[in-house]
Amino acid sequence: MQVFLLYIDPGSGSYLVQVIIAAALGVTFFFRNIKTYIKSLFTRSPKKPDDNPPA
Amino acid sequence: MSNSFMHHPASYRDPSGFIFIKEAVLYRQVNQNFKEHFDHFISSGCYESLVKKNLLLPHEIINKNLTGSGEWYLTLKPEHIPFISYAYEWSFNMLKDAALLTLQLLKEAMGYGLVLKDATPYNIQWHQGKFIFIDTLSFEKYNEQEPWIAYRQFCEGFLSPLLLMHYSRMPLQQLQLAYPDGIPLAVTSSLLPGRSKYSLHTYLHIHLHARISSKNKSNTNQITRFSKQKLLNLVASLEGLITRLKPPEQKSAWFEYYNEASQRKDYLQPKKEIIQHWVENLPDIKTAIDLGANDGAFSKLLAAKGINVLTADFDAGCINNLYNDIKKTGEINIQPLVVDLSNPGPATGVNNEERSSFINRTPVDLVMGLALLHHLAIGKNIPFPLIADLFQRIGNTLIIEFIPKEDEKIKGMLKDKRDIYNNYTEENFTSAFSRYFIIQKKQPVGNSGRILYLMEKHI
Repeated sequence: MQVFLLYIDPGSGSYLVQVIIAAALGVTFFFRNIKTYIKSLFTRSPKKPDDNPPA
Repeated sequence: MSNSFMHHPASYRDPSGFIFIKEAVLYRQVNQNFKEHFDHFISSGCYESLVKKNLLLPHEIINKNLTGSGEWYLTLKPEHIPFISYAYEWSFNMLKDAALLTLQLLKEAMGYGLVLKDATPYNIQWHQGKFIFIDTLSFEKYNEQEPWIAYRQFCEGFLSPLLLMHYSRMPLQQLQLAYPDGIPLAVTSSLLPGRSKYSLHTYLHIHLHARISSKNKSNTNQITRFSKQKLLNLVASLEGLITRLKPPEQKSAWFEYYNEASQRKDYLQPKKEIIQHWVENLPDIKTAIDLGANDGAFSKLLAAKGINVLTADFDAGCINNLYNDIKKTGEINIQPLVVDLSNPGPATGVNNEERSSFINRTPVDLVMGLALLHHLAIGKNIPFPLIADLFQRIGNTLIIEFIPKEDEKIKGMLKDKRDIYNNYTEENFTSAFSRYFIIQKKQPVGNSGRILYLMEKHI
């Protein structure tokens, strides 16, 4: 399997950088999700007319 | 059947298979060493789902070893793509959509336990009115502990040119021609303005990426732990960033051309009528190219008749607008292209054979050059005989417009230029073109002084 994975040179440090970037993004998205959750507590989502189709 | 076939010159990087041409049909061979991955791609339902969603080019499986190769596992016959285009011929929004398509494919594939092992714009082609992914052998089994193998390739091939155009507000298609494997991160990082570092996602994917890559030359074997969630975060970040990027200034010199020209009622309407009438009486026109197409108004005339039209202009802003328009209307017969006719895409890559030149890819049934001649002859100083040669290389039937030197547009062009164009006469024009073409019809357009010609190549 390694053979196929490495046919394009992933580049020096390109794997390591992803680990670092992914960690940074993990923190960013964690706080963003909290922000979105708190916001959602205070704002009511507007109901679309399609949400409640007539029975 | 003989085993003679031609290995496609661009298909040499990936050991899992290759493209070849046999008896004028294009095939893809899957090699034994990729069997496990390809079987999973098919049996998991990934292939079927992607084809159903119109994201991946369909193929037919041919159970015959057409190359006689010992490595053979399967032969695929992909659906035919009439015209191959390259990223340096796409407008900003086209490249942006190609990037988003790549990320979408990665996400879809992950749902089936697969991952994209490469992410280059060359794997995306125009097919029936939209972009589609063509490399069936790019999907391999996903190991969740590994980072994305094609991450850097994606950043260099898609993200770099998009960010450079977004920040500089300039169309930089030519830069992609200079860096066919993608614009190196270090180059992008140094060309982007300092303020781009304040965008978190640009900072991470370009600046930090470039810095760490250049520093850790000896760490390639370092054990790195990754996860599916981390990869999804990476994709979400790239998607968010790319979605927010804006095309360079859309108002170009020619943008208002038709708005203004359409006010001249005695010009545009009769011009449309003449062309419509001529095209209706031309036998067997299936493909056409509209050179210097501007907003593609005349391409649309042809497209409405079911002709497949390559709509080309050197103005990336015009082509971007046309692309937006096609996306809205769902027009499938028009393929927008950014092409500078005074310097059309050359043959590039290994042995100059990997990507063929624009002219080699074009042969079409009908060539249209409307309100174009003076831009080449006066704007670019290209003599009529060379222009005639250009057209005869592209197609057999030609609709071309001659604009006399007394025309307001030419007077405007000559205002800031020395008039060295004594040879710019209708007589010289027809004599240069007569070397390759027979003039079939000639008709003035209203009272504009402009003249349309219908020509057919000598056989």
